[in-house]
Amino acid sequence: MRHAHLSIVLIGAAFCQAQTPPANAKLPFVYTRWKQFTKADGLPNEHIFAVKSDGPRIWVGTEGGLALIDKKSGKVKSWTEKDGLPWRVVSGIDVNHKTGEVWLSLFGGGLARFSGGRFDHWTQMNSGLVNDVAYGVAVENDNVWVATTAGASRLNTVSGEWTVFTEKNAPMEEIWNYGVHYGDGKVHLAVWGSGVLEFDVATSRWKDYLDPDGEMEIDLYRDDGIVHVITTGANYVDKVLWVSTYFGVCRYDGRNWRAFYNQDSGLPSDFNNNLRARSGSEAWFATDKGAGAVMDAASNTWVAYTRDPLSNTGKAVVTRDKTVIETVETGLNLPHNYVVSMDVEGNDVFVGTSKGLAWGIGDGYYAGLRERPKRMSRIGGGAR
Amino acid sequence: MRRAVLLMPLLLYAQQQPYPPIGPDNSSETREVLRRINAAGPNQAPDLRLKQERNYAGTSTDVEPYGGVKPYKEHFLKQMEYTGPGRAEPEPADLKTVRIGFIGPIQSTVSIATGGRSHEEALGRKMLAGAQLAIEQANARGGFIKRGIPFEMDVVNDNGLWGSTGNEVVTMAYKRPTWAILGTIDSANSHIAIRVALKAEIFMMNSGDTDPTFIETNIPWTARCIGDDRQQGYLLVDYMIRKQNHKRIAIIRSSNRYGRFGVREVRDSARRLGRPIVMEMAYKVGSEDFSLQLERLREVNPDAVVHWGDARESALVLNQMRQLGMNQPYFTSDRSVSPEFTQLAGANAAGVISGYPWNPDRKDPHLEQFREAYRKRFKEEPETFAAHAYDGMNILLWAINNAGLNRAKIRDLIATRTKPWPGVTGDIPFSSVLDDMGDVFLARFDKDRWTYHSREELQIPRGYIPTRERVNRQLESAK
Repeated sequence: MRHAHLSIVLIGAAFCQAQTPPANAKLPFVYTRWKQFTKADGLPNEHIFAVKSDGPRIWVGTEGGLALIDKKSGKVKSWTEKDGLPWRVVSGIDVNHKTGEVWLSLFGGGLARFSGGRFDHWTQMNSGLVNDVAYGVAVENDNVWVATTAGASRLNTVSGEWTVFTEKNAPMEEIWNYGVHYGDGKVHLAVWGSGVLEFDVATSRWKDYLDPDGEMEIDLYRDDGIVHVITTGANYVDKVLWVSTYFGVCRYDGRNWRAFYNQDSGLPSDFNNNLRARSGSEAWFATDKGAGAVMDAASNTWVAYTRDPLSNTGKAVVTRDKTVIETVETGLNLPHNYVVSMDVEGNDVFVGTSKGLAWGIGDGYYAGLRERPKRMSRIGGGAR
Repeated sequence: MRRAVLLMPLLLYAQQQPYPPIGPDNSSETREVLRRINAAGPNQAPDLRLKQERNYAGTSTDVEPYGGVKPYKEHFLKQMEYTGPGRAEPEPADLKTVRIGFIGPIQSTVSIATGGRSHEEALGRKMLAGAQLAIEQANARGGFIKRGIPFEMDVVNDNGLWGSTGNEVVTMAYKRPTWAILGTIDSANSHIAIRVALKAEIFMMNSGDTDPTFIETNIPWTARCIGDDRQQGYLLVDYMIRKQNHKRIAIIRSSNRYGRFGVREVRDSARRLGRPIVMEMAYKVGSEDFSLQLERLREVNPDAVVHWGDARESALVLNQMRQLGMNQPYFTSDRSVSPEFTQLAGANAAGVISGYPWNPDRKDPHLEQFREAYRKRFKEEPETFAAHAYDGMNILLWAINNAGLNRAKIRDLIATRTKPWPGVTGDIPFSSVLDDMGDVFLARFDKDRWTYHSREELQIPRGYIPTRERVNRQLESAK
């Protein structure tokens, strides 16, 4: 009987937060409702290179095909090469909201457009695409930008004109493009070995952001610029530039830089495959050790989501600087802790891992910090 | 005497082991790594002992970048891990061969990545021969041991039109799947290749690219089995400045990535030692006339000249220097250690000193055995690219034979190896970033032959190599 009582206490303790913040602490929103999608749900492959939420739909680019999830029903439809998808490895997705066209960067297969049930295909052999190893795609007005391993290409979808950007006509120290993003009138290219390049659509002028210390093996000062020239992703939201690298991440508000490392923040790992910024103060990072979200950049407040590798459960750890201020048991959140891709839309987040997709449902989401409603202290339910 | 007697049985035992040691590895380390990676579930990252170093690349305090400042963060000291689910991938059935990719410059072409006409085929074909010999020897010993099927090399050119290296690695990862890849030489193409390898999760062993930044990318899917230009640069600088007391060193180099990044440690280290490079001039690969660059170098009156580029240009630069009456000591990168250089340079080659990633004069029965086999197979002497490719391919064969047909586990075995690989180019110990931290040498051409000299043999001084990370030690002044 005594043992049973002790067990109840222990279980209760485990079910409650491992660490409880002060009652009046201002805390970020924590996602406690998660859905997961794997091959069992109809995905053609579980290695999720790209995810794009588009209103009632989620487009999913995998190592083995393209998938579309209907948010309402949860039903999954997929396309592989048998269905006309030009190449099975879909590394990037963007949607032209004016036309409804879905643009796909194909890893080793060029560029594809999915529209009206038909795939159109551009390669380095039949178009101005500079290389078929495409890592990312972004729609900018009537243009489609593609980040490839040998430069960036821009297709004007109205005129059909292609423009190629390499070291010949852009400040690319190296031409190995990794990511592309359009926002607030600017295209940003994350370039392996060349930092971040910014293209101002209005003026057609380039600007580059490089690691000021110029050294590969150190970051001399934390907040002096991009943490490293080998960048993996760049997002520009609310006139704030967010950058992910394999060495840490950083943020630039047009005046000040701020770097975040695992050693000084809640970033789960310095190895960041990608990112998605929701605002100037919130961004999500795809790391090899979970999903890390800086929820309030000014106070360095983070939430890191990881799954327990041995059970179908997971947790969210809230930190400020490097101090853990809350741990929330979420139930199963991510299908795997190796996170490859990210998206945010509305209140929800979408996390592509190397073992399936996670959809975090943000009922009651709020930006920044608040005194936490008590319900957030309870265990969330994995929706699956 | 007693010690020698005690060691004798061990030496005899070692000699009885087949070389190269690519077969079943019963060492406790390998067994333990296999136990851990085989026990890991699809959602687990196995608990592997990650390499942790206190100093990056054996850099002495007086040539560390920004030596007067404690950096906020140091990279590359702790080994990267692979935390993905790849280890849970089942081995395929019904294979007839075990394919290993080879990517190298073997066909002449024009490349965006290298900025014009290709120029490395001579090196790439030797690299291919070395890799081929390793595969053929492995197949003669039974191939992939667990199934008794042969290894097969999937050979592609790295230098095709429009940056095709990435396309080729995609093909090897997805279309004609291979289990691991050996390649390549050109630095730009190597970077392109490992970007694909990282995303596709296939291990790449590099045996020919000496660009220091190749390994400074922080990705856990690549290793290098050749001493890089950082190590060769450090040795050259120590020789030129600490031993020979040169004060006015000038650089002439190719304008491609090999030249640009190759001289970086020479330039930076010289400056940090208080002997800044007096002038650095670049030329286009394939140039014939270097008078413009050399006349400018002559004007600054250097007391030594360093060249970084291919053998042909190195010889032409040297010859034209001498014609201009520039008799300064001539130091070069390892590519000059070739018959092409000595034939073109003729008598001018006397006294030339190059950095070199290994010691071909080393007395080692395994090296002799390799030379003999290579001569028999290809009717010529093996050179450096062949020897390093032979070592690199053997490391892959060892990993595949022991890890099985799983790309992540092949990676794991190489990444966690703490014992140096006993290569024909010497011991190959992998650093935290899986770079070859084995000894590098100086090659000197005299009396119609190159001889190879260690730091110890030439009594070349070096700076203090600290035993604590920069962020955890007091600032140490340059000495």
